[in-house]
Amino acid sequence: MTSPNAKPERVRLASGRKDLRELIQTCQAVRERKFNPFFLDVALAVETLRKYFPFWDLLDDHCLDAQTINDLAEVLNLQKSQLRYQSSALYTAPEALEKKLRALSVKRLGETFLKSWHPIVEREQLTVGGIREGLRYWDQMLSFEERRKRLRLGRAAPPTPTDLDSLVRSGIMTREDFAKNLRKLWEELRTQTAENGAVKYWSFVRRETYEETVQRAYYVSFLLTYGFAKMARGDTDMTLVGLDTPTGKVAEGSVSYPIAITRSSESQIEQGIGT
Amino acid sequence: MQESGDEKRFYSDKLKHAIHLLLFKRGKMPGAKEWELKASIGKNYKQVISQLDALLSDFDLQVKKVEPEHHQNRHLVEGELESTDDARYFVTLRGTLAPKEARLSGWRIDNLAALTVAIAYIVTKQGKAPREEVEKLLAEKVGRWKTLTLLDAFTRNGYLKEDEAGSLSLGWRTLSEVNLRDLMTLLAETGR
Repeated sequence: MTSPNAKPERVRLASGRKDLRELIQTCQAVRERKFNPFFLDVALAVETLRKYFPFWDLLDDHCLDAQTINDLAEVLNLQKSQLRYQSSALYTAPEALEKKLRALSVKRLGETFLKSWHPIVEREQLTVGGIREGLRYWDQMLSFEERRKRLRLGRAAPPTPTDLDSLVRSGIMTREDFAKNLRKLWEELRTQTAENGAVKYWSFVRRETYEETVQRAYYVSFLLTYGFAKMARGDTDMTLVGLDTPTGKVAEGSVSYPIAITRSSESQIEQGIGT
Repeated sequence: MQESGDEKRFYSDKLKHAIHLLLFKRGKMPGAKEWELKASIGKNYKQVISQLDALLSDFDLQVKKVEPEHHQNRHLVEGELESTDDARYFVTLRGTLAPKEARLSGWRIDNLAALTVAIAYIVTKQGKAPREEVEKLLAEKVGRWKTLTLLDAFTRNGYLKEDEAGSLSLGWRTLSEVNLRDLMTLLAETGR
């Protein structure tokens, strides 16, 4: 039989710290609206705090304890807000509303919004200060010819009108939509991944002309950045995998990896600088 | 007993000055702060504003007083609160736009639909929701590529706000322009 004052031997400080850290993480998730505030059983949390409190000796442990109490207080506050909100006219059950938002057509949603929207009437204009600043900048700026002289490019050709065809030829504009091109390339990569598994980077990116190769490499960089594809780098080559369920956002801890594409060489030289 | 005819009619100069302050954008946000109106128009600024509001009603416009964001966010979850001195006045549309006129606002109807989804979802989450959840819901409506662009556009224009943790909340423009109570009621009532 054990005396009531005896320290429970099984209470381990390490597991206490772990419990408190988990509580803090849950509180944080609740604050970020990842969970309903009532997901956390505050009474149980307080009981956990009480269980370990007599054994804290170090300052760090007391700080951890204080932070947990502070976070629990915030969760309690959110629980209070939730109750108030549920009793207000704005409240709609989230599940029911989500279902409705999915079911309603785009047109219907837009029309509903218009009925409750009172846009602000505003006018943007130049101010006296803005005009003065613009004039000062203009006065101080050298002429185009003067600025060209500094670069020693010789005399500039006179300006001539341009059209869509020449802009497309120069690569300034494309006839196709950027998003459409990106989607096309993503579909292509997914198909190839489904058929052959990981696809070699250069065999996917390389095309007959240098311009096409650069363009595909440019689009692939977007696919990688926004989580629509994954890249793995081996000793000799790099492979791509098209993802069916993209994250759609820049991954945390992602690294920038420049790849040089040379015009002359048969096989593109790759040079990576990990950051 | 005071007669209603005693009501002062303010000099047209004050009315002009008030409308200039309210309509012409000087900083990042349109409209004028309460203290700004008080300093420029004088202590009777509230009467000037109310007279201006009556004049604007003929053009389907109104002068709207909007409490600061932090105050509104509290209002969203805590019910009625007392007014603050830091309020901002805007000129807004008194009525609403017809679907045919929607393009006048500079937004396409499908973009407005996306904004509706984002706002309504955030409201059901008590004014704050993780960005990925909003993205997921929106992507079903308008596609993934457009979702990313639109959420950025809504944030840039002040309709939504994103914090460091990646949570979205309602921006100053939503709180100023959208009648959330009407929106939620209409959504609840609307059929397919």
